[in-house]
Amino acid sequence: MALFGQSRDISMFRYINRELMGNIMSQQCAFFKIILNQTNFNMYGEAAEEKYYDGPILLYSVIENPTEEWSTDDLGVNFNLKPTFKFLRDDLLDKLQDFNEDTIYGANLVPQVGDIIYYQTSYFEVTSTNANQFFVGKNPDYPNSPQPSNPAGATYPLPEPLWNPGLEEFGWNQSIICNTTYVPADKVGITLERM
Amino acid sequence: MANIPIWPGSSSFFPGDTPFGFYDYDSDFQTDADKVAKFCAQRLGWPIENVELQDVNFYTAFEEAITTYGNELYAYQVRENMLNLEGLPITTPFLNNTQITPNLGNVIRVSEQYGAEAGVGGNVNWYSGSVILTGSVQDYDLDVWAQQNGISGSNLEVKRVFYQGVPASATYYYGGGVGLGAGWGNFFGALGGVAGASYGNNFLVTPLSYNVAAIQEMELAEDILMSAYSFEIINNKLRIYPVPTYGDNGTNYWFQYLLKDERLADSLASGSGDLGAGLVTNVSNVPYTNPNYNQINSIGRAWIFEYTLALCKEILGYVRNKYSVIPIPGAEVTLNGNTLTESAQTNKDALITRLREYFDQTSRQSMLERRSLEADFSQNELNKTPMTIFIG
Repeated sequence: MALFGQSRDISMFRYINRELMGNIMSQQCAFFKIILNQTNFNMYGEAAEEKYYDGPILLYSVIENPTEEWSTDDLGVNFNLKPTFKFLRDDLLDKLQDFNEDTIYGANLVPQVGDIIYYQTSYFEVTSTNANQFFVGKNPDYPNSPQPSNPAGATYPLPEPLWNPGLEEFGWNQSIICNTTYVPADKVGITLERM
Repeated sequence: MANIPIWPGSSSFFPGDTPFGFYDYDSDFQTDADKVAKFCAQRLGWPIENVELQDVNFYTAFEEAITTYGNELYAYQVRENMLNLEGLPITTPFLNNTQITPNLGNVIRVSEQYGAEAGVGGNVNWYSGSVILTGSVQDYDLDVWAQQNGISGSNLEVKRVFYQGVPASATYYYGGGVGLGAGWGNFFGALGGVAGASYGNNFLVTPLSYNVAAIQEMELAEDILMSAYSFEIINNKLRIYPVPTYGDNGTNYWFQYLLKDERLADSLASGSGDLGAGLVTNVSNVPYTNPNYNQINSIGRAWIFEYTLALCKEILGYVRNKYSVIPIPGAEVTLNGNTLTESAQTNKDALITRLREYFDQTSRQSMLERRSLEADFSQNELNKTPMTIFIG
């Protein structure tokens, strides 16, 4: 039976993460979530016309900002910057989560490829996401339940619980990491559509 | 699972919030509990930082600090007065607020052992016994005598043997002159007895020095010329000197003894029921209870507040130290649990040391020493005052 990394521990981690990211590091970015059902696509899956976004949604994030790169070719100078935005996954869940009740958290969004992040007057498009940081190696969303039990009427039943019940109370799917790349503002062309 | 609440910045104490509830209904405790919680939280960084504790953690530490204070205080009192308290009925009302006047009861009790061995008091019975002498038999086994009288031989310890030589004066009274040139009727001026008090009527007035010289001469003559009346006793085997004569046959030879198991038994005080039950026998059953918080003065309370803070720091250290490294998105961070626990331990040790020194400085011994020094210094000061000469 699992012993460590129960939800009580995770609660403290959440406090510390939010204190650290909110009050100490205080790195913020604005998240534009692409609205797929309003965006038209061509036969190649590319946006045929304008893209529509929800947002911006202000989020705390651990931002890894590498050095900018400039490469020069026949066409001129290319500017390249690929920061990584690391979000606390619990911040991105909805307000219905009990740990987001009565807090400023609960963005209710799922980062996906194509979303736009606005950070320090620059736009960055999400190129990939990564959500595999699990505390004590367990993701409580996959508790492998129901657990196996003795067959009904077993002649020699084994003592229960047979395996490892209650795993939904252990572990933590902690973060969503967005790898991005710089997108020129004119290419994004985000304008305010409605007040 | 919902967030486990942490310190929100304020609290409201209710009886039952502490683990033991020793002081839950003390009005001062109820008032101070929330203040102490706020004090500790703010000393730990609130509101700049989160303090991952709840109000019950603060109350628990507060209760422990008071109990520790009382423990140190009354342990000191017990140490100071154990000699006066041992043997009290444990049903004695709690001594928290009792002024204890020293007494010699236990000192005398402790000293009884010496009296018992010396035969001048004590708490062990001495018994008398006698063996019957047989002419020409010098050795007598008192263990055998004990068994014949229903006593375990190994339980016998002879304390006194009544076997002394006849006083020199008496011997001489019957024996005859030694160099004094007089018959038996003349010594000490009478027909018998020492110091002239006897049935004789003819007194010879002599100087005291004459009598003393006569006594000394007789004693010396006994030592040199007469048989030595003595004995030795080894492992309850009695050997007497000189060898009894047939004239001694059938004579009772008296001695006194005690029983070893009675000596052991008499050294155990018993209350009702089991030995020692019902009596204060050790520091664990001296009747003290937890202190009344509302009677602790500001000096004591200040110590309690500081100790509560040290305990809270320790608890917070444990909380932050369960996982020394915790994850943040894409990285890890190390918390200050180790620093907190080490600092808390240092604080606790210093506070305990300070409290014990404070108590030691107010012990009876220290107070008397201080008073003595004060008297000496005062006397020195007065000695420097010029002596006034009165002219009448």
